[in-house]
Amino acid sequence: MDYYVAIASIIGIHTLLGLSVYLVAISGQMSFGQQGFFAIGAYLAGLSTALWGLSLLPALVLGALVAGIVGLLVGFPALRVRGLYLAIATFGFGEIVRLMFLNVRYTRTVGDRVVGPNGAEGFRHVRYVFDRGFTGTQYLVIILVALLVVAVLFFLLERSKLGATLRAVEEDEVAAAMVGIDVTRVKVLAFGAAGAVAGLGGGLFIHYSTYVDHDMVALPLAIASVTYPILGGLGSFVGPILGAVALVSLTEGLRGLHELREFVYGGLIILTMIFRPRGIVDEALVLKVKSWFQPRRVERPAPAP
Amino acid sequence: MIFDATEQFINGVMYGFLYALIGGGFTILFGVMRRFNMAYGSTIMAASYVSLVPLYLFKAPVWLMVLTGIAAAVLIGLLVEFCCFRFIKKGHELAPLMTTIGMLIVIDEAIIHATNAAGLAYPSPFGEESLELGRFLVRRDYLAVLVAGVICFALIFLLIYKTRFGRAMRAVAERPEAAQILGVSVRRINVLTFVLTSVMAGLIGFFSAVSIGSARPELGIFVTGKGLVVMVLGGLGSLPGAIVAGVILGVLEFEATWFFGPNYRDILAFAILFLILVVRPSGLLGARTT
Repeated sequence: MDYYVAIASIIGIHTLLGLSVYLVAISGQMSFGQQGFFAIGAYLAGLSTALWGLSLLPALVLGALVAGIVGLLVGFPALRVRGLYLAIATFGFGEIVRLMFLNVRYTRTVGDRVVGPNGAEGFRHVRYVFDRGFTGTQYLVIILVALLVVAVLFFLLERSKLGATLRAVEEDEVAAAMVGIDVTRVKVLAFGAAGAVAGLGGGLFIHYSTYVDHDMVALPLAIASVTYPILGGLGSFVGPILGAVALVSLTEGLRGLHELREFVYGGLIILTMIFRPRGIVDEALVLKVKSWFQPRRVERPAPAP
Repeated sequence: MIFDATEQFINGVMYGFLYALIGGGFTILFGVMRRFNMAYGSTIMAASYVSLVPLYLFKAPVWLMVLTGIAAAVLIGLLVEFCCFRFIKKGHELAPLMTTIGMLIVIDEAIIHATNAAGLAYPSPFGEESLELGRFLVRRDYLAVLVAGVICFALIFLLIYKTRFGRAMRAVAERPEAAQILGVSVRRINVLTFVLTSVMAGLIGFFSAVSIGSARPELGIFVTGKGLVVMVLGGLGSLPGAIVAGVILGVLEFEATWFFGPNYRDILAFAILFLILVVRPSGLLGARTT
């Protein structure tokens, strides 16, 4: 039972990362740096409870907020470039954050433990959740509630004018600018919000695992968080959720295969991309599902390529 | 202090040619041919491991190790081209990024599985003791990197600017459809590009492992980081840019390591990357386009 609770917690946290990449992706950008915001959120939320005596909710909010603000600050200069350039620039940002935490030391002795970010040692003993006597299941509920709040926001976003604006920018930036959309503002906003979502995931993560170090927010996490939306699908926010659920369970489920696990994992990514280059939940599928609920609609817009 | 700085400068320039080679491989793949091959670093890493096989089997000489590494890299490169690019539908730029990440996982796992994730000692055929160049101490393997880098780039420039293949390659890079109409086999050029960059990967794998002193699984991520920085710093698609950027990065890293310590070396590289992308996205020698 504990095992499944642990997997579900990881899925919940990784889903937030996937949604963060997705939010950047639907404004036409690709970020390989969301793990940087995840790290910022984790360190800040950890500091808040472990050293500054805040309780969990304000700590999570603070982590997400700061990650979001950094997202806005990074978004302004970074979004002057696009496509592959942006992917590389954001990866550079993620690495800068990671290497910064590799060097930063800010510790204090609490009780008989040294607490705080401690360079290569990482940030250990964030024991707020344990000291308050939460069980694994209770903390899972907290993660899922946070995820639900974010998912509802995404649901509302995709039905709002802002959601349509984001999609318009993704489809054709020039055309979007010509109908009066402030493209830069939309993209920077999306980037900031995405930073906050990843930061929330980081805050939840450090309280789940009680520690985080620079190795945990390196390239593999970047790859994982990009894989969820691209494999899950860029047609709807259900895509990255599905991607995270499928891939994390797959990683766990394939444990029985031992050595073959990673081969199967890598092979499945390749096959999915060959047969569904826009992911499993792509625009065509979204339109199809929508059409089930609107049976009398005759004309449908052609699915995006 | 000036003496130290100069000595680091000399070593940095020589080592920079390794970065230039890495950046050159990324530039040809990513910049010129627009093949976003994230498995390139893993190809280099795998090549460095495979080149050890003949040494362990029958104490093979250096040239045979290099050739084995190159052969392994070419095989892997062709596999990557076949699995990750051949069947991708047109107009999906992100898809090959993901397929090659899938391939990266597979290659890394194959190497980790075969070696139990251990680094393997990589003997330096150039001798351990440093060379005295006037008053300065210079590492022999760095000197070898410099020589190999210069020869390699001379051959690449000859290939790209003086041969039919090179002309066809530049045509495909500029206008694939037009090149196809004029009778260039785009598929063949793409395959040959993978062969060319894989040969470079074999060499890079050898010299990286020699300079580090061992073949390591982390080499893939290391060269990917450096390769992207050099490619962007030099200007996407500019080979001369890659050389200049590689040397600049080499010098900056050596000076930073000497004066600030190794922890700040990598921050410097990525800070440069971020700044260049923001201030001058076209890089040092790239064309000024958006």
